[in-house]
Amino acid sequence: MNFTFSHRKITGLVAIVPSNERTFVDEMANFNFPLARSLKLKQVMGYDKHRIVDGPVCVSDLACFGLQHLFDRGLLDRDGFDALLVVTQSPDYFMPPTSSVIQGRLALKQDMFCMDINQGCAGFLFGLIQAFLILEQPGVHRAVVINADVLSRKVSTKDRNSYPLIGDAASITVIERSGDPAPIHANLKMDGRRREALMIPAGGFRLPSTPETAVLEDDGENNFRAKDNLRMDGSAVFNFVQVEVPPMIEDLLKTACVTADEVDYFLFHQPNRFMLEKLADKMKVPYEKMPSNIVEHFGNSSGVTVPLVIAYNLRERIVTGTIRACLAGFGVGLTWSSMLLRLGPLNFCDLIDFQ
Amino acid sequence: MQDFLKELADVLEVDEVKDSDVLEAFPEWDSLTALSVIAMIDARYRVNLTAAELKRVDTARSLYELIGAKNGN
Repeated sequence: MNFTFSHRKITGLVAIVPSNERTFVDEMANFNFPLARSLKLKQVMGYDKHRIVDGPVCVSDLACFGLQHLFDRGLLDRDGFDALLVVTQSPDYFMPPTSSVIQGRLALKQDMFCMDINQGCAGFLFGLIQAFLILEQPGVHRAVVINADVLSRKVSTKDRNSYPLIGDAASITVIERSGDPAPIHANLKMDGRRREALMIPAGGFRLPSTPETAVLEDDGENNFRAKDNLRMDGSAVFNFVQVEVPPMIEDLLKTACVTADEVDYFLFHQPNRFMLEKLADKMKVPYEKMPSNIVEHFGNSSGVTVPLVIAYNLRERIVTGTIRACLAGFGVGLTWSSMLLRLGPLNFCDLIDFQ
Repeated sequence: MQDFLKELADVLEVDEVKDSDVLEAFPEWDSLTALSVIAMIDARYRVNLTAAELKRVDTARSLYELIGAKNGN
């Protein structure tokens, strides 16, 4: 389905990554694979370093740290926003919502629309769409979207399929009304029939965690993970991305009457470098317009990868100027979404370490 | 077919692939190589294979025939 918005802009963005950095080379010994094959995987997929939380760090810890950073520097007023949308798949609790936890910990005002959104790799787009909608209300002047996940805590260290690429991170995006009538185009599709391609089978109400769900099982290819762990059917996800994403972008650009050449950057979710390069090849987009360097530096932090790719690669550019960006997210659900908008100049764009 | 065998040899990092060669018999063959083969076929022949489809073929020739069949040739 298609969406069109106008008079909306992103005015600031900060990405927060844990200071704890691990390397693929150090972790290779955990995998039940010949070393040479693991090194080949590293080279092809672009695995190197990733940032993961050290200990029982939760989404609200990363989020409160980031918000406090903005309050302390005068970049965001603690009473200056009226909606707090938290997009996560690793909430602090089943109940209450993590948005309420954050509101309470920081003693934010009560006149606040707090909402959790359970979305992953397309979560930045979901958060933006929801923020644009809530800003229809005259009582909402500014919306804050927090994307955050600490999924490394749910990935088996013996699963070469998922562990080398997982990353933890958070981002805070400020969205406001603007005087710009230029349309922002977006589209989105979902297919719940393919929901099992990315899932954590146990730990919810369908299959509560028990000693049995903690037992490591072989996936048939020497990857060991339990039902309590995150599972990814890598080749099914690869196939999904290659089949669904290029036509989605084509539709978006067609609707907006914009050619791919007129787009400055394709800022996509970062599953791994391999998948992004194959996407760029298929879409005939030069690699320099589609950065794919987030997994090798930080890991794949699901919905946070789009703000992370912006903060890491384009900070100077969008603090001082404007780019025409095509954003896209695709993954768990399955869900795929894209958006064409102008980014910048932002009031702030930072990348900070969580201590 | 010769071009295809050459492309396949590049992905498998071997000097030569013959049409009767069994894909899984190559020492380099694993899930990563399978993904690379799928990506190559997608880029070169505009054919999307799933990992399951690739698993069902044995030789280089049968893979080439599968691509032809999916291409409608």
